[in-house]
Amino acid sequence: MEPKIADGLRAIVGDRGLTTNATRRATYESDGLAHVRQVPDLVLMPRDTRETAAALRFLKEWNVPIVPRGAGTGLSGGATPVAGGVLISTARMRDVIEVDSVNRFARVQAGVVNVDLTHACADHGLFYAPDPSSQKACTIGGNVAENSGGPHCFKYGSTTQHVLGLVFVTIDGEIIDLAEPCVDPLGLDLVGVFVGSEGLLGIATEVTVRLLPVPPVVETLLAIFDDLDSACDSVTDMIAARLEMSAIEILDKHTIDAIEASVLAAGYPQNAQAVLLLECEGSDVEVAAALRDIEPILARHGAYDIRRARAADERARLWAGRKGAYGAMGRIAPDLYVTDAVVPRTRLRELVRATTDICEKRGLKVANVFHAGDGNLHPNICYDRRDKDELARVLDAGDEIMRVCLAAGGSLTGEHGVGLEKIEGMEWLFSHDDLAAMCRVREAFDPKRRMNPGKLLPMRACMETRSAVRPNEPRNG
Amino acid sequence: MDDATLVDYAKTLDCIHCGLCLNACPTYKLTGAEPSSPRGRVHLMRSVAEGTLQPDSEFAEEMDFCLLCRACESACPSGVQFGVLMEHTRAGLQTERRGSFFARAARWIGFRVILPSRFALRLVAFVGRSAQRTGLTRFVSRFGFARALRDAPTIPPSAKRALLQPMTPARGEPRGVVGVLQGCMMPELFGRVNRATVAVLAEAGFESRVPSAHVCCGSLHAHNGDREGARFLAQKTIVCFEDIVDASGHPSPIVVNSAGCGAHMKDYAHLFDADDPWHERAHRFAERVVDFSEFVALPRTRAALERRLRDRPSRAQAVRVTWDDPCHLCHAQKIRSEPRALLDLLPGIERVEMRDSEGCCGSAGIYSLLRPDDAAAVLEPKLQELSDTRAAILVTGNPGCQLQWSAGVKRAGLNVRVAHIAELLDEALQHGPIDPADRNA
Ligand SMILES: Cc1cc2nc3c(=O)[nH]c(=O)nc-3n(C[C@H](O)[C@H](O)[C@H](O)COP(=O)(O)OP(=O)(O)OC[C@H]3O[C@@H](n4cnc5c(N)ncnc54)[C@H](O)[C@@H]3O)c2cc1C
Ligand code: SF4
Ligand code: SF4
Repeated sequence: MEPKIADGLRAIVGDRGLTTNATRRATYESDGLAHVRQVPDLVLMPRDTRETAAALRFLKEWNVPIVPRGAGTGLSGGATPVAGGVLISTARMRDVIEVDSVNRFARVQAGVVNVDLTHACADHGLFYAPDPSSQKACTIGGNVAENSGGPHCFKYGSTTQHVLGLVFVTIDGEIIDLAEPCVDPLGLDLVGVFVGSEGLLGIATEVTVRLLPVPPVVETLLAIFDDLDSACDSVTDMIAARLEMSAIEILDKHTIDAIEASVLAAGYPQNAQAVLLLECEGSDVEVAAALRDIEPILARHGAYDIRRARAADERARLWAGRKGAYGAMGRIAPDLYVTDAVVPRTRLRELVRATTDICEKRGLKVANVFHAGDGNLHPNICYDRRDKDELARVLDAGDEIMRVCLAAGGSLTGEHGVGLEKIEGMEWLFSHDDLAAMCRVREAFDPKRRMNPGKLLPMRACMETRSAVRPNEPRNG
Repeated sequence: MDDATLVDYAKTLDCIHCGLCLNACPTYKLTGAEPSSPRGRVHLMRSVAEGTLQPDSEFAEEMDFCLLCRACESACPSGVQFGVLMEHTRAGLQTERRGSFFARAARWIGFRVILPSRFALRLVAFVGRSAQRTGLTRFVSRFGFARALRDAPTIPPSAKRALLQPMTPARGEPRGVVGVLQGCMMPELFGRVNRATVAVLAEAGFESRVPSAHVCCGSLHAHNGDREGARFLAQKTIVCFEDIVDASGHPSPIVVNSAGCGAHMKDYAHLFDADDPWHERAHRFAERVVDFSEFVALPRTRAALERRLRDRPSRAQAVRVTWDDPCHLCHAQKIRSEPRALLDLLPGIERVEMRDSEGCCGSAGIYSLLRPDDAAAVLEPKLQELSDTRAAILVTGNPGCQLQWSAGVKRAGLNVRVAHIAELLDEALQHGPIDPADRNA
């Protein structure tokens, strides 16, 4: 890359805000989707909105692709660098700007880690609801871009329900200030457009989020099953009975084994074929009532043991196990491919089976852990990226899972986003006109499509062929 | 050494690139830079082993920047053995590294001449003390090393640098025999902690034995790439403690009051190949090693101390104390509740939790000597956390942390006493109420 670019950027962000060295840049070559890699030409770490805007204004004349990055925990390759491009990381934008405990909102820089926000408002008896399993590391900016969910989003909804305002910088370096916390935005709801846009519309630099009061009583149940099917069926029944829980998660036998072998051993029984992790929140009366309704359903489906955890540390242990499940599976093989599919909750049992069969048919080892309440499946496939044949079988299985779920009336992704990984699926799900409409929204912000090119919206649909920027294909494997 | 053996390749494959370790890492929190994170460092190692990256100076710099605090191990669900990986890589880099003649000579003298020799250690302490008293250090600091010399700990007078007796009997009803590691630098800088350690053990009914031939466990060597030196000192340590046995001939527990040394001694086996007879011997040795707080918090020992402490005079107004988890206690040895339980036995104290108590203070063995600016930057946010607790005493279980915190507290002008947990227990047993000011200062 032209040395003048680095010099110009250095003048804006200083030495510590710019990485040019090849060894150091190499560590940014992938996000959580580790088999797709591309070393960025430059890595920029601005400290605030002003620096971000100045950098983007400067880069405008160089006409290079830009990729935003938070913590790089994304699983769909959204933060995979683009050849010849600049990666802009929010890792140095970590200030909690304001916690307004009376009006129940917080304003944070985009690089604030999800769990740090929760800590910052804990003293006020408030919390930030969306809790992706990666919450210990992922950033609020990344959550906004992916519209991330988490176990408790069954009750509270995903990120978009909790973002009140935003400041973002467009590709041309223009600052769009929508930070005012308003419940019902006046005029066009640009915040709503930005959430879930996977870094295509601009770089979020500040986020205003809604905070909720910590519920007075929380009770966690661990229901233990002899088979996965019954666990799935009990969830279908609970949903049908309109029960009010805050989280419904299922973990299968492989997952339980991996967690119990890790530092996060949670005390899940190792002879079980599946466990159901449930949480109820609210007043004493509400929680008691919910539990009264839940327990017979669990019993009817053959849960042979139901454990309750009310003490904070016991609950924390049950959840730490669940949230570390993906990492714990890393003990089984060097790499892990997490598929993210959504299915109708009336057909959980059948589709969990189907996804397992798809993997096993290809000789792949799969473990299931998923947000059952939302019908959001995560078959985790263990593999070794150095084995090209195995990698091909994994990707093939991923495709078939996606097709089967779509055919059953599900969706492409529940929470991990489309990124690079599922870009083909967009063409299965949407018509050409749908995609063209989305592209027009994108071009309203970024006519040259320099922002995160090659992600989310298929090039063909956006007629990327006439684009000024032609990203090279990232290398696979 | 080629690049493939520079790195323990197989162990790098445990990392699945999930990133859950990022926010636990002090150097990542400081810089926001991926190459300065655990995931980034494992990625660099793997790339070097796979031949896609050269182990250049930037690579070496990232390996040196790591504190080896192992917070990433506590965060990693995939079980990446980061400590072992890093020791391996550092050893590899060390054999390749040229460095200035001065740096190499200083390293050799430090690791191979001073640390393994009691005589040399005492000589250094003597010279250092004389220089500090005559103002010579202030004079010398004009010519360089200003920071290191300014932050250097005050070396206590010779009377307080006495070595431990080879044997200290139990008080009251004897309950057993333990070996005690007095350490290389401990007697020179923290003789009082060593004396407190054996005094508490005596009160709890244990006879302490200190092998006079023993000097250094070699943990600093292993952490800084001198595996040869580390192996030699491990063998020596194993031999020195082998004949410490109880009345019935059973090998005695070995009590260690320095978290860094204890963690390393529990890990001795990984210094030797699996087919080396020393591997098995190191393994058996490791099973005897216990941290001071781990040993004293065992139910019977704790009960004995509780009985003694119950009728000690208390004070009207409770003294606020907080425990800072040494990395090599919480992350490496997984010891978290024991020291807290012991502090709760002390009369007249109120224990409060400090936020991020498991975060590194920046001491990290000799890191604070090698990279004083980084070490100070790592401590900075922790000083704020400490001041937020409004504690009068910060308690730790590792001499390096004690030095680092003392220097930091002084720099920040906080009125906080920094103490080792053995000192507080001893004080309570001797005098009753804990003093918010340091009796020995
Ligand atoms: C172990 C594990 C568990 C996970 N569990 C969940 C889960 O339960 N629910 C869930 O939804 N996801 C989950 N994920 C996926 C991932 O953590 C989320 O997508 C998360 O929101 C990504 O945040 P990040 O900061 O790491 O962003 P990155 O991965 O760095 O980036 C993600 C996308 O956002 C864009 N982006 C990042 N920051 C900005 C910004 N400031 N402005 C504009 N665009 C930006 C990037 O370009 C990229 O397209 C998990 C991942 C892992 C590794
Ligand atoms: S948490 Fe473990 S597996 Fe995940 S990136 Fe860090 S070291 Fe790798
Ligand atoms: S040992 Fe400590 S400093 Fe080194 S990578 Fe792990 S967490 Fe970071």
